[in-house]
Amino acid sequence: MALINIATHEIHCKIVYYGIGYCGKTTNLQHVYKSINPQARGEMLSIATETERTLFFDFLPLDLGTVHGFRTRFHLYTVPGQILYERTRLAVLNGADGIVFVVDSQAEKFEENVQSIAELEMNMRRIGKDMGNFPFVMQWNKRDMPTALPTMVLERYLNRRHVPSFEAIASEGKGVFATLRSISKNVMAQL
Amino acid sequence: MEQLTNLVISDRELTFISSLLLKLMNDTNATSAMLIDKSGQVVHVQGMGTRRNATTLGALLAGVFSSSREVARLLDEKDFRNIFQQGVQENIYTSMIEEQWLLVIIFDKLTHIGLVKVLSKKASDELGRILERVRTDTTRTKSSVINLQFRSSVEDTIDLLFRD
Repeated sequence: MALINIATHEIHCKIVYYGIGYCGKTTNLQHVYKSINPQARGEMLSIATETERTLFFDFLPLDLGTVHGFRTRFHLYTVPGQILYERTRLAVLNGADGIVFVVDSQAEKFEENVQSIAELEMNMRRIGKDMGNFPFVMQWNKRDMPTALPTMVLERYLNRRHVPSFEAIASEGKGVFATLRSISKNVMAQL
Repeated sequence: MEQLTNLVISDRELTFISSLLLKLMNDTNATSAMLIDKSGQVVHVQGMGTRRNATTLGALLAGVFSSSREVARLLDEKDFRNIFQQGVQENIYTSMIEEQWLLVIIFDKLTHIGLVKVLSKKASDELGRILERVRTDTTRTKSSVINLQFRSSVEDTIDLLFRD
């Protein structure tokens, strides 16, 4: 839920990157962190296991500066992708204003992606949000992998809501900002 | 239940929140008092110690609370309304207000937890009433901020800032 603080002239929005383990959610945030103007970002926080897997969430606060007298901030979060952390994903989703669903395009990950998006839909229902009019974009990541499925296939089976989608190679930064631009605008449009 | 898409906090309500947190901080001799939204956004902070890290603290404390609610459900408990984190120097007491906000008190060993619990409860009741007014006012106040000009400017800023 976006917070509009008229007294302090601030607007805060929460965007969550969702998807299966190793699909590139943290990589998206890392690219934003290292590429964006340092004045526009706070410290990136990662609660990870010893092997660098996300345990709870990654968190990156972004500051758009003052727009029409209001300081506008986006807080980016990732969820842990591993199957056993389902309850943690639900905890991170709480209060989200927008979701980026990051898809690992590799054929061998297809089934996991399908399960993950079904889980997301179920979790959104649990927290009382209607996906039908919720800011939501898809990112087809890992387009450089040899077994990447054609985007047409991904669109057909994973993007049933026909939300905006973007091809990406997050490890090279490709498609990362296009995705972020789209979800940010989508979130602001819903305010 | 469908959730509100946003909460708009007016000058008037923030003044109430600010003085309530200050009073709570002074009465308990706490080092800081914070009000955060369950999404992790900071509504207001009193106390110098936490101001610099308020954004990160907000995200983490909301995460801890959210996670503890899931633990509660696994134990067939409705939820845990309060969380107490005990450190060597500093302690944190967090309580939930109306499923929406979290009241956080940070205090040292000079303050007794019992006092914090009792006064937090009293403050939570008052904050609950403020939240109710904020919920009612949100739709009316929002249109004064989020207008066409604002939307267009924010889109330009997004294009400018979020680019390769």
